[in-house]
Amino acid sequence: MQYMKIRYGETFSIPRRLGNLFREVVRIKGVEYIKGKGFIVRDYYALSNLNKILARLGLILTPEVRCFICGKYVDCEKCEFRNNCKRDVTICICDDCLNNKNILNIYLAKQNKFLGLKLSSSQK
Amino acid sequence: MVWTEKHRPRSLNEIIGNEEAKLELVRWLRNWEEGKSDFPGILLVGPPGIGKTTAVHALANDFSYHVVELNASEYRTAEKIYEKLGSLGRSYTLERYFTGRERRIIVFFDEIDGIDPKEDRGGLDAVIEIAGKRDFPVVAAANVPDPQKHKKLFELFKVVEFRQLTPKHIIILLKRIVEREGLKIDYEIIKKIAERARGDARLAINMLQAASLGIPVESISQSLENLPLDELLRRLSSSISYYEIKQLIDANSSLWEDVIYTYFDIIARSPVLKFDAKIQLLDALSKIDIYLGRMNKERQFFYLRYLSHLIAWLIYNANRSGAVYDGRIPEYRLYKFVFNRDAREEFTELSEALGRSIHESRRKFTLYTLPTFCKLVKRKYSKLCEWVKKVYGW
Repeated sequence: MQYMKIRYGETFSIPRRLGNLFREVVRIKGVEYIKGKGFIVRDYYALSNLNKILARLGLILTPEVRCFICGKYVDCEKCEFRNNCKRDVTICICDDCLNNKNILNIYLAKQNKFLGLKLSSSQK
Repeated sequence: MVWTEKHRPRSLNEIIGNEEAKLELVRWLRNWEEGKSDFPGILLVGPPGIGKTTAVHALANDFSYHVVELNASEYRTAEKIYEKLGSLGRSYTLERYFTGRERRIIVFFDEIDGIDPKEDRGGLDAVIEIAGKRDFPVVAAANVPDPQKHKKLFELFKVVEFRQLTPKHIIILLKRIVEREGLKIDYEIIKKIAERARGDARLAINMLQAASLGIPVESISQSLENLPLDELLRRLSSSISYYEIKQLIDANSSLWEDVIYTYFDIIARSPVLKFDAKIQLLDALSKIDIYLGRMNKERQFFYLRYLSHLIAWLIYNANRSGAVYDGRIPEYRLYKFVFNRDAREEFTELSEALGRSIHESRRKFTLYTLPTFCKLVKRKYSKLCEWVKKVYGW
């Protein structure tokens, strides 16, 4: 099985001949094909559906992981927990942010912004 | 108090990990409230211990809903589900009448993959129908739903996948608990727990609580849940505490049948057990077997809570009497694999040939003709024996 990293919302080409599977692939909600540029995957639901098809060709697409706090790309290969992680997520925490002493409050504030919820007084 | 309960998040903001899934959940509820959602309900899919149930309760808390939780182990049939929700409607009408307040409710079907579309008379259809009416938001959670069996649910509900937490998320979660509890735990221990928890937040918190009591992480690192049968049997056999056995039994309910059969083998073959003890244990075992069979047949899984005590009691007594699991595979498991397959193939071949001989399809022959033949043979068995003796000489 070959693994390939992709980024959501950015074009990439699949290093296999899809043949009859092309129709199935472009039918997936959240997967687009732009002629001359390649495929675009919008979200991780679309990606898991796409992987079900590509697995027949021996290819698995894995998303590049971003840090939830700073938004930087995280390199799983350099992570000290790489052997104890399933590596199927698109959001993680980079080492710099994890080592921040105030990580908990930063995480909660970031999450509050991300979800668009109002913080209660006890959570502040 | 158990820390998993004490530190259970009350708001989605407090839940660590699965950020995208939580966002989907919030978006769906907002759209549902505005009547814009294409999906009448939402299905949360993911392994145990990663916060599906907590997320639903937290969501309800954030949006001022009251959660009405129906567990598939108790409410499986359409009749029971409607009964529960019918009385709920009445009680809320009364409350509104007396207090003047209207409480909004979210209906939450937990472990919905436990409902069998065929065996549990209309249970799944009832869930879909309730969601379709859009009287209240319907959320369902499942560990391992079958896309074929639960096809309707997958088509009509918005599916949101919850994933195992990364070790880094678990570190943040544990740091929060350490801070709240005012503990002084070495960061290396927290890292070790995060590595060993395998994405299971519940397990990580339990390990942290044990570590805070001075128990080494290495000894508590293995989860009680989903153990392989052999490992479960070994642990059960070596346990001397009833509480420990009960915990193991509760955490591995999918293996009860195998445990019962293996314990039959252990008890029946044990050279150490005295004759009276054997009788007593086998008697208890036969009762458990009958109750389990009855429960499966009636699909009344509510009674599992009583049965787990009976099984734990049996194992506790067997261990005390000296029965030991020696790692031997009981015959029934071999039969299950080999004999059943052979028998099935033989039966298919035979019923096809017999059906053809009387110009019937195999299905019709198996369903209608064969049972009638069997009844006739049973009634006139003595005559049949005489005929066989006369014709074949045996």
